[in-house]
Amino acid sequence: MRILLIMVLSLLGCSGSIDEPVSYFNVETPRPFGYVNGDEIPQRIVIETRSDISLQPGSLPAKGRINRWLNLNQVTVKQTGQRYQIDLLYQVFYAPLEVKSLTLPGFTVQLSQGEKNINQSVPAWTFTLSPLRELVARQSEQGEYMRPDVPPPLLANTQALYGLSASLTVAALIATYLGYLYGCFPNRLRRTLFKRALRKLAGLSKADMEQALTVVHHALNSLNGQPLFLNRLGEFYRRNPEYLQINAQLGWFFTYSNRYFFSDGMIAIAQDFQQLKDLCEQCRKIERGSR
Amino acid sequence: MNTDTQLTDWREQALQFERQINQTVIGLQPAVRHIILAVFARGHVLLEGNVGVGKTTLLRAVAQGLGGDYQRIEGTIDLMPADLIYYTYLNSEGRPCVDPGPLLKHGDTLATFFFNEINRARPQVHALLLRAMAERSINAFNRDYHFPHIQVFADRNRIEKEETFELPAAAKDRFMMEINIDMPRGDTELDELMFNPRFHDTDRLVAGVANTGIYYRLNELAQTVQQRIQTSPKLHTYALSLWKATHQPQQYGVQLTDVEMPQLLMAGASPRGMSYLIRAAKTRAWLEHRDHVLPEDLQAVFPVCMTHRLFLNPMYGYRKEQLLPELIKGILNQVAAP
Repeated sequence: MRILLIMVLSLLGCSGSIDEPVSYFNVETPRPFGYVNGDEIPQRIVIETRSDISLQPGSLPAKGRINRWLNLNQVTVKQTGQRYQIDLLYQVFYAPLEVKSLTLPGFTVQLSQGEKNINQSVPAWTFTLSPLRELVARQSEQGEYMRPDVPPPLLANTQALYGLSASLTVAALIATYLGYLYGCFPNRLRRTLFKRALRKLAGLSKADMEQALTVVHHALNSLNGQPLFLNRLGEFYRRNPEYLQINAQLGWFFTYSNRYFFSDGMIAIAQDFQQLKDLCEQCRKIERGSR
Repeated sequence: MNTDTQLTDWREQALQFERQINQTVIGLQPAVRHIILAVFARGHVLLEGNVGVGKTTLLRAVAQGLGGDYQRIEGTIDLMPADLIYYTYLNSEGRPCVDPGPLLKHGDTLATFFFNEINRARPQVHALLLRAMAERSINAFNRDYHFPHIQVFADRNRIEKEETFELPAAAKDRFMMEINIDMPRGDTELDELMFNPRFHDTDRLVAGVANTGIYYRLNELAQTVQQRIQTSPKLHTYALSLWKATHQPQQYGVQLTDVEMPQLLMAGASPRGMSYLIRAAKTRAWLEHRDHVLPEDLQAVFPVCMTHRLFLNPMYGYRKEQLLPELIKGILNQVAAP
């Protein structure tokens, strides 16, 4: 009999919580003091319901202006099973002259069970707001005594700067070399073709006529971008008209070179070598733009 | 008369002959120069070009001017090798007869053999021609016939490809030159060709070419030219570089658009092709009043001697008409001398 009575009483004790549509409800708020103008105040509402009940998102306060001094900046609802976590982020725009008590307005959350609505009220929450400064602001000799915060100290980045400089230097060197390989600096090289040829000729004599002719051929080929022959001089002048003024010397050079390399019995004399050097000097002058 | 004087005389005759051909077939000076080079270097010539641009007239005029016994045959799809060697018929008494065909008719005095539309003939005919061109002899009636003076001129048009047989590589290689004949460019020449009645009757035009009668001396002349015109070691190096570049153009810096250069060529120039090139270059040096060959001589004959000897990978075959001239130009533009 006693056991039966305990069971009946236990069942009666449970019956109330089974019928409750909201099994858990809590409003989590931060500290209720120490706020100033412009502060954001988060508010979290946690609701757990029975399985057939769902939250009506339309019943939550709308994002935007709530009243003259209060804005609701963000409304986030996160649902995990039958647990709703509603995060509200208010922002206060009130400049009190002294510490003042203000209230975040309460509202009613609606839950629906089929066609039936269940209301769960969120109570208003009171907090105090402090002024930013005294009622009568003091003036210092430097001006306004209110000053912005000290900027945060910078992190030490010397090491990173050294690393960056080294990487950029290496990258620039590689890019320059790549540009050189792709022929991006032909003008720079083309401007010193005959300078280098003259330097090589300076170390040669008429006994090295074959080498001397090859040096000049090489310089002309490099200038032309492809091997240059007597019968292609016309095309060469079209691309490099400034060399037309030494047409006679270039004609002599190719005729001489043809005879030297491709026919028998050609003996170089000092005058030929001097003429070759003269030609190279003329080319150097044109290359420098002084002729 | 010493050899130098002889060469000078012959050169004057050759240049006179060239001028005469240029007056008969106008606006084709480069092609005429190449044919003259081939004739005096004793090489066979293949002409390619559009229809009606004067290929046949040019070859007939050259044959007429050279003199010597002349034979002509038209390439057709049903032409068989035997048709070149003999033909059979019933004579007026009703008896079957066998007479020598176009190749054998003149025996060893056959000079110019003109094969018109060669690509219309079957490969069997090409095979017979191979031997006639390379060895200047054929075998018929159980014995060899020799043609010490034979010069084969062949032509084909590049418009029609139906019912034609592409010449095999071996046959092409036996031609010293393949010369493209394009329409004359100048307005004056085109006007002449349209309105001057002289060019309307090709038979009379060709008959007007004076027979120089130099043909049967050509072998001796060509031999003399090849011996007298000198080539220096530097020129040998240049020719060798050109030859190597026809096999591995990428090693000489030749680069064509949208082409993987190592995969471009299946075969480069053959030794026979290079010997033809040097023969033609020596002949050009002789015609240019020189006793030594210059790089420009090789460059002048390189395209006509080499284009038909380079065989592209089949994957580039459909771009042959574009790639081959670019490749030849690229090689000539990249190989330096000295």
